[in-house]
Amino acid sequence: MESVLSLNAISKSYGKIKALNNVSYNVPKGSVFGILGPNGSGKTTMLGIVLNALQADSGSFSWFGMPGSPATRKRIGSLLETPNFYHYLSAVDNLKITQAISQRGNEEDIHKALEIVKLTERKNTRFSTYSLGMKQRLAIGAALLGNPEVIVFDEPTNGLDPVGILEIRELIKELAQQGKTIIMASHLLDEVEKVCTHVAIMKRGTLLTAGAVDEVLSNEDIVEIGAANMDKMVEIFTNYTGVTHIKKQESNNTIQLFLKLGEANLEAVNKHCFDNGIVLNHLVLKKKSLETKFFELTNN
Amino acid sequence: MLALIKIEWLKIKKYPAFWWMLGIVALTYPGINLMFYRIFLQITTRKDMTGAVAKSLLGNPFAFPETWHSVGYFSSFFVMIPAILVIMIITNEYQYKTHRQNVIDGWSKEQFITSKILDVAIITIVASIMYLLTAAGYGFTVQDDNKANWMEEIKYIPLFLLQTFAQLTIAFLLGFLIKKAFIALGIFIFYFLIIENIATGLLKNVVKTSVGRFLPLEISDKLIPVPKFLGKIDEASYKQNLAEVNEHIVYTILLTAGIWWLCYFVYRKRDL
Repeated sequence: MESVLSLNAISKSYGKIKALNNVSYNVPKGSVFGILGPNGSGKTTMLGIVLNALQADSGSFSWFGMPGSPATRKRIGSLLETPNFYHYLSAVDNLKITQAISQRGNEEDIHKALEIVKLTERKNTRFSTYSLGMKQRLAIGAALLGNPEVIVFDEPTNGLDPVGILEIRELIKELAQQGKTIIMASHLLDEVEKVCTHVAIMKRGTLLTAGAVDEVLSNEDIVEIGAANMDKMVEIFTNYTGVTHIKKQESNNTIQLFLKLGEANLEAVNKHCFDNGIVLNHLVLKKKSLETKFFELTNN
Repeated sequence: MLALIKIEWLKIKKYPAFWWMLGIVALTYPGINLMFYRIFLQITTRKDMTGAVAKSLLGNPFAFPETWHSVGYFSSFFVMIPAILVIMIITNEYQYKTHRQNVIDGWSKEQFITSKILDVAIITIVASIMYLLTAAGYGFTVQDDNKANWMEEIKYIPLFLLQTFAQLTIAFLLGFLIKKAFIALGIFIFYFLIIENIATGLLKNVVKTSVGRFLPLEISDKLIPVPKFLGKIDEASYKQNLAEVNEHIVYTILLTAGIWWLCYFVYRKRDL
């Protein structure tokens, strides 16, 4: 698949702290690419590097198959870390500057972008009078200005109220449907799980995993079973074919059986229990949630 | 280049401090000159002989062509007003993080510094127009029959432009490196008003050396020496100062170009 962005062994240090350690991956065209990681994992540093705000110590990256340059940046709508605008100017005047620098869109597009982010009513008031959520909306509007083919969102829902968060989530889905590539850094798992097609998980500057959401999440099947005697359940599944490990959940008297992908057979599990004198009161095949995967990876 | 000017104009034209600066310059340039003009009038209109002698010796420093020189000299005392604006303009970019956003949106780092050179140039031109209007205003209104020689000494117009641009460049450098408006402003004003004057005086009168003329602001201060009527106090050094002007044009250009080169160099290496 054609890549919009390719990172090749990017490293960056701040003194002794290794902010990024040999990070490589590709962002496929048309994907919604989520970059997940706890605070300080290097998400913003990485986006800062590919947007030329920061310099990498080593490694390289390319946009659209070309080295990063002002010309490639003009094709990308970006919100990096915070909304950065001239405080004494209005939304319209600020977007005029964005438009003039990026050469994306025209006067009419400025008003369209403000309409999408619901700032039309306040378009002529100074940025300094905006609430945190409005500032964030304006930054999203600036990234959307002139319909760029790639959009980079660093924590796009920061400062937004629940309705605003939902609206942005819908907006991202809509943009993805239009075929745009969206690169989104977030520490909100829910947000990423709901909208992303691809995901990269980072921890302390290291890339733990990257790929399509289904591949990253579903490398295992989880069968959750419940019965009165938990210890007995654990005992009979300890040497069961395909089970890699077992997790006890004392709170609701269930256990989780982790099996290799595609090897879970609920009928066989049920029969095995019955043959060993256990009657199940709960049997379900679970998809691993991003949250589970995330904690599993980052807590190691 | 035109595109950069248009973008900088979008940033400046609605910046209240820009219009404040313009207003204050419009008051202070004619104001300081009026003060010196009144002193001159007080001396020369005395009924006794001293008045007549003074008038014949000094000539009218605010009549053509000497007005270009005198008004340039007195107006340059107030370079700190546009300097405050220059420092605000660059430190605002850091405070708002727009220096980073401009690059993210599609400028090269070099274009960002070039846009700042253009800001300093625009402010220099605005201040120089104020000087020009003030000097011409005095030239045309003070009592003097000879208006035909107004073209003489207009070399002080480009000299005022160069001096202002050079000194605002130093103000820019402070804002650029220090990033915090109040610290940069404090250092600039303290250095401009106190440190360099003391250092120049000490080097000249105590250490007995002329290296003081190579201090950063003094290099371009020397482009417009004291006006002729004040030069009468120490005619030898007045003549020497006039003779050194051409040399200082070269030094000023070198220093200013060096500072901008440094800004490009630092910005290229710097994380935003």
